[in-house]
Amino acid sequence: MISFINANCTFRKNAGVKNLNFSIDDGEFVFLTGPSGAGKSTILRLIYMDLFPEKGKVLIRDFDSTRIRDREIPFLRRKVGMIFQDYQLLKDRNVYQNIALALYASHYKTREIKSRVYSILNQVGLGHRVHHRPMELSGGEQQRVAIARALVKEPIVLLADEPTGNLDPRVSIELINLLNKINKKGTAVIVATHNYSLIQRVPGARLIQINEGEIISIT
Amino acid sequence: MTILWFLFKEGFKGLIRSKYSGAFSIIIIAISIMLVGFGYVIARDTLFMVENIRAQFDVDIFIKQTASRDDIAAFDAKLKKMNEINHLIYISPEEAAQKFKNEFGEDIFDILDYNPLPPSFTISFKPIYRNLISVEAIANILQSDPVVDELKYRKNFLIILEKYHRIILFTVLGIFAVLTLISIILTSNSIKMTIFARQDIISTMKLIGATNRFIKIPFVIEGTLEGGLGSLVAALIIYGMFYLQNTYFQSFFDYTAIVSYRFYIALLILGTFLGWIGSRRAIRKFLH
Ligand SMILES: Nc1ncnc2c1ncn2[C@@H]1O[C@H](COP(=O)(O)OP(=O)(O)OP(=O)(O)O)[C@@H](O)[C@H]1O
Ligand SMILES: [Mg+2]
Repeated sequence: MISFINANCTFRKNAGVKNLNFSIDDGEFVFLTGPSGAGKSTILRLIYMDLFPEKGKVLIRDFDSTRIRDREIPFLRRKVGMIFQDYQLLKDRNVYQNIALALYASHYKTREIKSRVYSILNQVGLGHRVHHRPMELSGGEQQRVAIARALVKEPIVLLADEPTGNLDPRVSIELINLLNKINKKGTAVIVATHNYSLIQRVPGARLIQINEGEIISIT
Repeated sequence: MTILWFLFKEGFKGLIRSKYSGAFSIIIIAISIMLVGFGYVIARDTLFMVENIRAQFDVDIFIKQTASRDDIAAFDAKLKKMNEINHLIYISPEEAAQKFKNEFGEDIFDILDYNPLPPSFTISFKPIYRNLISVEAIANILQSDPVVDELKYRKNFLIILEKYHRIILFTVLGIFAVLTLISIILTSNSIKMTIFARQDIISTMKLIGATNRFIKIPFVIEGTLEGGLGSLVAALIIYGMFYLQNTYFQSFFDYTAIVSYRFYIALLILGTFLGWIGSRRAIRKFLH
């Protein structure tokens, strides 16, 4: 489903990622680990095509990084759910509106939007927070709103960048259990993290370790 | 359908969500449209005034005393056929005497025992011929007619008028153009500010798979609304100010502002259009 073929994406001063070769299949759970600055976020950005490799290519289903046109990128992103380190929730909208926005952007019908939003909010345990604004929620709750927004359009893969960065250990474990539950339903999950303790929580997950932009081990 | 309705609501809500920057934008647009509105009325009335002065220019043609009634009739017919002439009046010697009496208070027959005043024509030209070159050319033609004794017109008046007309025209049009330009710049910048304040929405929308069009439409609707509301405010203020001038301040400042409802409609259309085009241009910058 996802393939990196000799992909290079470097910034100034040689920072970035080099010679990436790996594939991820439907329904897998993958941890992307490595120290800060290793290139984890860069890999995720290559997947949702916020960045493009200057050498080699990235394939996501039928989308080819060397061929995709600007106006096709939204269609790729409807298939890829993303959870950002800083959540990227819109402050001037409540939980419902934040999640519904993703569906409106994917051209769903109003009736369907309503039922989907409520059902996803119940799944992430936020049924009682529908009308709150992001600022009125705890970090863990915001995180779950971000997950709900990423999941509501039923993506083929869910990307989470440092999802436990701002959460205490207990909430982190809850979160990883939630991601695991989502994965069990068939969605592939890729988690970028430097929190190694999370990894043991998901037995059978694959592990891709990177350092200074290169893969040093892959399972 | 769902989408269109959603985008429309988003545009409306955007206006409310943007709070101060939206209100600020409306005020800026109102000021811009007021500039254009007042600029237009001032330009129009100044040119109208100059045109009025120009319309006062006329030529007196004095006919030889020896000319017969038929000669005069033939000359009259000739004048009437001339394209350049807008208006003509025949003044018979009797009428001339009457005019003399009205102007000087004395009967010409009390001074002389005959009427020395010749018959004459007073002609005025169509606007495009009210310039020195045309007037002199026409005067030369008329002068050569055997019944004509003398032509009289104020040449200096024409020269001065011509000189100032051009200056006034260019000044007034220049001011109008500058005001319009300023209003376009102000409008598009203030809309840019409201969008700038909410860049997070644009980047988030992109990341969750919204097409550029989906992102753009609410902002364009919002900008168009701001343009419409701003010009509505401007139209109301201009209407109020003209009303005050025409009803209360006539005695201080001798001017009556006359505009038709079309003027206000034009302002509304202009403001809405500026809002539309301004937001389209502004959002394009943030999408790439
Ligand atoms: N836009 C950019 N311009 C220049 N350099 C960049 C840019 N983005 C990332 N980098 C560099 O690329 C390298 C990889 O960055 P990346 O964000 O992928 O690291 P990371 O593994 O996600 O780190 P962290 O765990 O701190 O989030 C770093 O050295 C970073 O400084
Ligand atoms: Mg990172």
